[in-house]
Amino acid sequence: MSQSIALRGIGKSFESFRALEGIDLSITEGEFVAIVGKSGCGKSTLLRIIAGLLEPSEGKAEVAGKPVTGPSDGIGIAFQTPVLLPWRTVEQNIRLQLEIRHLQRPDMEEELRRLIELTGLQGFEQRRPYELSGGMQQRVALCRALIHNPSLLLMDEPFGALDAMTREQLNLEIQRVWMQTGKTIVLVTHSIIEAVFLADRVVVMDARPGRITDIVDVEVARPRSFSNLSDPAFQKASNDIRMLMDAEGMTA
Amino acid sequence: MKDLLKDTLYPAAMLMLLVGAWLAGVYLLHLPPYLLPSPHDVFDRLTGDFGYLMWHSGVTTFISLAGFFLSIVIGIPLAIALVSSKILDRTLMPWLVLSQTFPKVALAPLITVWFGLGMGPKIGVTFLVAFFPVLISSVVGLRSIESEMIELADSMKASRLQKFWKFRLPMALPSIFAGIKVSVAFSIVGAVIAEWVGATQGLGYLLLQANASLDTSLLFAVLICLTVIGVVLYYSVEWLEKMMIPWHATVRLKDRL
Ligand SMILES: Nc1ncnc2c1ncn2[C@@H]1O[C@H](COP(=O)(O)OP(=O)(O)OP(=O)(O)O)[C@@H](O)[C@H]1O
Ligand SMILES: [Mg+2]
Repeated sequence: MSQSIALRGIGKSFESFRALEGIDLSITEGEFVAIVGKSGCGKSTLLRIIAGLLEPSEGKAEVAGKPVTGPSDGIGIAFQTPVLLPWRTVEQNIRLQLEIRHLQRPDMEEELRRLIELTGLQGFEQRRPYELSGGMQQRVALCRALIHNPSLLLMDEPFGALDAMTREQLNLEIQRVWMQTGKTIVLVTHSIIEAVFLADRVVVMDARPGRITDIVDVEVARPRSFSNLSDPAFQKASNDIRMLMDAEGMTA
Repeated sequence: MKDLLKDTLYPAAMLMLLVGAWLAGVYLLHLPPYLLPSPHDVFDRLTGDFGYLMWHSGVTTFISLAGFFLSIVIGIPLAIALVSSKILDRTLMPWLVLSQTFPKVALAPLITVWFGLGMGPKIGVTFLVAFFPVLISSVVGLRSIESEMIELADSMKASRLQKFWKFRLPMALPSIFAGIKVSVAFSIVGAVIAEWVGATQGLGYLLLQANASLDTSLLFAVLICLTVIGVVLYYSVEWLEKMMIPWHATVRLKDRL
């Protein structure tokens, strides 16, 4: 399989502050990788470097075999905050991605309907962001990240403001999209269960300086379902992650 | 409907209070008419000289509006230029700031000497008084876009133009409107100042005439005309704001708390 993302010796300093140090990570095409770690350990910074939004202070980043020099075409990002444009309706906010990329085609409108339905936003198409709950705003941002069918999807805690039910539902949906389309997905999350449920591999990070502690494989067959979370493989993976985080004094 | 009532009730009560104080000043303190004319005299003046006052009001409104539009037409593009070019910003900004600390009232006579007594120089003075709020608030608005919004635009590979039209400019509109509202009020002050120097018409000119002949009832009538013009222009801008940025919190949440 070809390598989608290759990070070699990535470091990032903000002034004298070391946000990231010695990050080595390879992600193959079509892989689902989750990143966990305590607040401030550099998860978002790492995601920004992969996205080409932030230049690393040292090291090399490659996406799809090419050095990252800026955002590339096949990328979709759901940021940690929804960043919706307040003057646009739900529909227009999602369509923004298509407008900017000059991708307005009839089949895209169909995809828009499908995504809106899938994320449970039907009936809210004409509402503006201030009329939506935080969780709904996040779902709009997710639709916007998916609408142009990117080959690399980067998500920064996209489900943080969702209730457990909706969250599980969207997790299942993301899994389905991923299995159908073969996207490469990098997901930053605070939830170990979410990471283990979705990812092939879970990258555990620690802070000061931000670095990768270890990478945990989750060897559970797909499609996965929440009813077999008690599966020994799931249990093992989550225990490993929890132990790694405990060892770093992350959880009490 | 209830909001409308509330919106008009409180200012109306305030007006009653003022008129009450005015009446008290005239009839209880017996202030002489050349200091404080009675409301009755002023009302007579307003109705009696209605056409005359309207004509001069028209002149002042025209100068105010022309100066105000010029402020917008020059202020906003200048702000865009300053925001997009560091060199321009460094070269011009200190001078623009300096020009504002300079008393523009003092400039009016000079402008008259240089450019004459026509409408043009008066509109110029009005512009000088009114354009700075638009300029500064536009600069602030265009600069204050959140970094995540810019990252979003970057992640979509938005061009410079797209970034400007689809992100920066709409994002800056609330701030721009805040400046425009200050500017519209300033433009009336600017027009009056301009008419103080070498004018033969306009409310500023009337103000001087009334003052010279101690015609306080005319003075009051002129002040009332100025106030009406100011209020109408201000609320027109506010209405426009409501139409253009209904999504913004300052528009939506006006009636909360
Ligand atoms: N633009 C910046 N300037 C200065 N410091 C920054 C900047 N961006 C991030 N940092 C610092 O780098 C560190 C990592 O930030 P980052 O946002 O990547 O953390 P995170 O792991 O995403 O945290 P969270 O889980 O809370 O979102 C933080 O300590 C933060 O203060
Ligand atoms: Mg983060």
